[in-house]
Amino acid sequence: MKIVVTVKLVPDPNGVKNIDPATKRLVRAGVETVINPYDEYALEAALQLKERVGGDSTVTVFCMSPESLKESLRKALAMGADGAVMLSDAALEGSDVWASAHAMSLALKRIGFDLLVVGGLTDDGSTGAVPGALAEFLGVPCLTNVRKIDIADGKVRVERETDGGYQEVTGALPMLVTTALTIGEPRYPSLKGIMGAKKKPIEMLSVADIGAGDAVGAAASKTELLSFAPPPARGAGKIVTPEDPAAGAATILAFLQEKKLV
Amino acid sequence: MKNVIVYVEQKKGATRKVTFEMLSEARKIADALGGRAVAVVLGSGAAQVAEQIKGYPVDAIQLVEDPAVEQFLLDPIVHYVELAAKNVGPSLILIPNTLSGRDLAGRLLARLNAGVAADVTEIVVTNGRVECVSPKLGGALVTHCVLRAGDYGIATIRPGAFTAAPGGSGAQIERHDVSNATYALAIERDVEEGSGEMALEEAPVVIAGGRGMGGAEPFTSMLKPLADAFGGAVGASRAAADAGWVSYSLQIGQTGKTVSPPLYIAVGISGAIQHKVGMRASGTIVAINKDASAPIAEFADLTVVGDAFAIVPELTKLVTAAKQ
Repeated sequence: MKIVVTVKLVPDPNGVKNIDPATKRLVRAGVETVINPYDEYALEAALQLKERVGGDSTVTVFCMSPESLKESLRKALAMGADGAVMLSDAALEGSDVWASAHAMSLALKRIGFDLLVVGGLTDDGSTGAVPGALAEFLGVPCLTNVRKIDIADGKVRVERETDGGYQEVTGALPMLVTTALTIGEPRYPSLKGIMGAKKKPIEMLSVADIGAGDAVGAAASKTELLSFAPPPARGAGKIVTPEDPAAGAATILAFLQEKKLV
Repeated sequence: MKNVIVYVEQKKGATRKVTFEMLSEARKIADALGGRAVAVVLGSGAAQVAEQIKGYPVDAIQLVEDPAVEQFLLDPIVHYVELAAKNVGPSLILIPNTLSGRDLAGRLLARLNAGVAADVTEIVVTNGRVECVSPKLGGALVTHCVLRAGDYGIATIRPGAFTAAPGGSGAQIERHDVSNATYALAIERDVEEGSGEMALEEAPVVIAGGRGMGGAEPFTSMLKPLADAFGGAVGASRAAADAGWVSYSLQIGQTGKTVSPPLYIAVGISGAIQHKVGMRASGTIVAINKDASAPIAEFADLTVVGDAFAIVPELTKLVTAAKQ
């Protein structure tokens, strides 16, 4: 079974986020680039499936990103992915969800897969719409928010989380799944994995390689970012240390009554 | 984009508050664009929901009572909303920003070659141009984004962002035929587990507990009665969900739900960034914490320093009495 995992490279979510006023994009300089933490859960699920299914199963990581961030992909290889493919091209800059998903789908068609695993969320202000769009462009079923997955003879059975519980859903390969965080904590790369990752291949693809033509980047996008600004700041709040619990409760009630919340 | 389509999420004949908010906003947008406002309701129970929403100011309610909507995962909904879009013509499609709403938006954007604006809290129409306002990066930034002129655009709408206002002269209900399409993903079981996103994201008051609760028991014995006194819901920080004290469906924060109730009371929650991004847009924030230097004190409107286990029961009594 050929498993492909899409990952996104993002500025470290624990770092400070800045946006360049001229380009209106995230400033990556000075902030460490990491694999989107949610995508590590997708990779973990893929690696576990490969171990369970066995045979000649492989896990390939796919990433659309500037080539300068290539080395940040090594962690995925160190965790156990067999190889990586990176779609990099200056023409991709400024892509919105439609343009990104469209370009990614062309690359993924070229790579080929039985199962495509996508992280549930991204950490840098995305829309949550990419997995659904990818599935449509690729013409495969889309099973989101999966916490447990079983595959036998090309038949897929999953448990997926819903707003108020869970569902059991069945389908067939090829398929796209997105992972919930409850699918399992990502593993840490072993020392052997880290050493081995240095020799694993990262194949580079360009817009010409995937035949995307002009349907890329800001010009092909369906949305245009006009502006961004921090929201109005909250005024400094009051901090009260009451004499006893009853006084504390009374302070809260008076405050809420003043604001007409009780 | 000339018309507005509202996708009405429903289950067993019940819909969410966000539906009424979207229907009310759809009228304003349709008037500004000079087009029609149309609601789409799908699945068993759709007729029941159509009755509930016909007092809202849309021109038509398209209705398909196809049980496939409950038997197969999302594909029937994608199919019918696409059909409705083709039938209504160039339009802005409003979808609630929920788990399945985000999936639907992604599917439709590819089928309709449309742009998508996500988690929208305000829509401004100027000379036919549709501009969407969304908080990003957990509310650290507010973006203004234009859906480029084209046949279709999609906006996923944050629950609670718009005001529901009944009105209009009664929408026309149009029944559409069940399609003979086949679908790939069969739902074998659908299990409900207590309160979910609807209760938490739409609650007017959220009482959230964190690490300071020390276990599962205070969530039911202490926070739930306070939530009940307000007519609100109980939420939790990631620390509490990770510890297994509450289900992940109650978790508020970066990896959980985003809520913005008029009143948020954080009990024994330090207010780390992970939690803050899920609740910072709340109207009024009150914190009860034993540590005056906890990060939450920096952005709460009122922080009461003390023992939550003593203060909360007192507060529950006071609120119950004040409401009588």
